[in-house]
Amino acid sequence: MKIYFEHLGEIEFDDNLILTFENGLIGFEHLKKFVLIKTEEDIFYWLNSVERPEYCFPLVGIRVIDENFPIEENHEAFAVVILNKDPLKITTNLKAPIYINQDTKTGFQKIIDNDKYPVDYQLFVEC
Amino acid sequence: MLILTRKLNEEVIIDGEITIKVISISDNQVKLGFEAPKNISINRKEVFEKVKESIQKAAEMKKEIPDNIKGVKPNKI
Repeated sequence: MKIYFEHLGEIEFDDNLILTFENGLIGFEHLKKFVLIKTEEDIFYWLNSVERPEYCFPLVGIRVIDENFPIEENHEAFAVVILNKDPLKITTNLKAPIYINQDTKTGFQKIIDNDKYPVDYQLFVEC
Repeated sequence: MLILTRKLNEEVIIDGEITIKVISISDNQVKLGFEAPKNISINRKEVFEKVKESIQKAAEMKKEIPDNIKGVKPNKI
């Protein structure tokens, strides 16, 4: 499948890489099909809608910031990122992680009922 | 809006498969218990709204990639 993504340009990918989110994302329940893209030099993943290529969500692997984050069996946990030109202002949403199973090519988002995980966790600190 | 009156320990059933039970009642708080199929998500509405706003903002800010991320490290929990 070949799609022109507004943000990433034209990308050709195998149909069997498409991830199905049965319930969509929170606030974007109508989006069910995505591709997860990461370029070598990029530190962020891009969860791009196949149905509406203009919708793209930057993600970060949660293991980078929290090794004890709640897991789901056979899934990898990602957090949605709110980008900013100033890296110190970039935040991640730990309240509503996205879990992806690369074997079954499925994913879902859920809200963690724990005050420890905010919607706007600062991603970087100064070295 | 449908309004039903329920007493302590009484339940409501939605669509034959989602039950909501009144667990306890105090002056200005009720505790509710939910039973639903795994694919039904149940959340406090104000938290849901906050998450929704944040996901929308992430989609809007996708182009604000920093020119470089030198001098910073992941903010570990």
